[in-house]
Amino acid sequence: MTAEQKKEEQPEFIQFRYPREVPYEHALGYQSKFANALKQGRIIATKCPVCGRCTIPPRIVCPFHHVKQTEWVDQGQRGRLISAFKINFPMFNSRTGELQNWENPIIAVELEGGARMDGWCAETDPSKLKTGMLLEAVWRPEEERQGRADDILHWKPIEE
Amino acid sequence: MAERIAIVGVGQTHHKSKRPDVTTAEMIAESVERCLEDAGLQMKDVDHLVGGSFEVADGYHCPDKWIIPELGAVGKAGLELQNVGTTGGVLAVASFNIAATGLFDTVLCYSWQKMDEAAGAFGRGGGGANEYWTGQFPMSPITNFARRTYAYMDRSGCTEEHIAMVRVKQDQCALKNPYAQLRLGLTVEQVMSDVLLAWPIRRLHMCPTTAGAAAFIVCPEERAKKVTDKPVWVEDWFTCHQGGALTMAEDPTSSTLRHACEVVYKRQNIKNPVKEIQAWEVYEPASPAELRWMEEVGICEDYTAWKLFEQDKVGIDKEVPFNPSGGVTATNPIGATPVVRLVEAALQVRGDAGEHQIPGKIERALATGYGGQGENVIMLLRKTL
Repeated sequence: MTAEQKKEEQPEFIQFRYPREVPYEHALGYQSKFANALKQGRIIATKCPVCGRCTIPPRIVCPFHHVKQTEWVDQGQRGRLISAFKINFPMFNSRTGELQNWENPIIAVELEGGARMDGWCAETDPSKLKTGMLLEAVWRPEEERQGRADDILHWKPIEE
Repeated sequence: MAERIAIVGVGQTHHKSKRPDVTTAEMIAESVERCLEDAGLQMKDVDHLVGGSFEVADGYHCPDKWIIPELGAVGKAGLELQNVGTTGGVLAVASFNIAATGLFDTVLCYSWQKMDEAAGAFGRGGGGANEYWTGQFPMSPITNFARRTYAYMDRSGCTEEHIAMVRVKQDQCALKNPYAQLRLGLTVEQVMSDVLLAWPIRRLHMCPTTAGAAAFIVCPEERAKKVTDKPVWVEDWFTCHQGGALTMAEDPTSSTLRHACEVVYKRQNIKNPVKEIQAWEVYEPASPAELRWMEEVGICEDYTAWKLFEQDKVGIDKEVPFNPSGGVTATNPIGATPVVRLVEAALQVRGDAGEHQIPGKIERALATGYGGQGENVIMLLRKTL
């Protein structure tokens, strides 16, 4: 190859690759109590003394009334479907740090105790999901739980 | 007493999916030069700068340290801000606040995103309402709007065909805007058969990844009148960044847009927004979002906007001139996107939007920024004081 040919192969504009990996360790603070309850197979939420709204994840103060939420309420193991979606492309899994396909739809559930939370649904066909349907939590084995959202493997539709 | 303020110049790049020919700073400079030229000013006339992008998606730390010298603006007052999708909105509002103090005569706001350089950052998702909790779910704008649209369709009677009509309308507008990125000539059938990302969201429904920048200059009244004979008055502005608490906990179809509009309409005594506001540039990250946003800004009743598309009432020269530029589903340089809305709204008020100009006098225009789980920034422009 002549020097001239080599020069022709050079792209006019160069891009500079810069891969970086930054591991984070975030403090959970007041939410630690909620995370510890998940490890024990329980879902708990803070309750506002003014409006009675229960919130997950828990907060020290009510987002609407700026009063301390000292009461914790057990939310039970069942809830009703509010909304759902299913992803048809690979997305990041924060437990593994990898991209993966997501077979189970991601849902929002209103719990027996009144709080709302996100989770995964055992029913993989989104056309079979109806808002208002009754669901029950299915937990990971206790030794695998880490106080994370996916300690609840999925929510299973149950007959009424 | 605050100064009355006006936008005296605007500029944006021709938005593309990739810009390997320029650095981020060089791309920003393109929009800044166009803005200065539009205002008939030079950098020496500017006395304060406000700039920013969605930083994590750029991969640059404190980019203003690098960009200010590249813009030839060393020694001037300035600050950098970021706020995910509403970045351009908070930049604009900060610029308005600074100009309204009367302490600075000529405030230059510049905004950008070069998504061709770090597309991987957007697959990381999560965050927003609560880093511990939502950060664990595979969330993204795609899944956010899949969930919202699922709930919207469930309640309203709107079908997949209707949300495809919205996408076609957006494309028809973009075809008339030379700065828009996606100008495709779409049909309803093409949209409905496109790749499914997360039902009912197809690829064509989502905003693209864009490399682009936008800028504007805002001045207090006395200075504005000297600079231009076509000032665009900034009548009111408001930010509402409580999406995580105000939307998902209440209703998966809603955002903070309704609350923000109620505040601004009340302050400006706007009783009938569809009559009193003649141009709308409302940040819709996915085409079906436009339906809910039309309801939340007060154009029609809840869960009825899809009927306006069925009746062919939405478009540049139609009853509801919503997002005449083609909107965010045509062009989305995230950190700059709300400034693009503002630039387009200002051009509509001036009557300088070219082929996508809405016919008739535009006395008022409303531009917004959207981000995260439902956050909104409202910017209301006016032709006369």
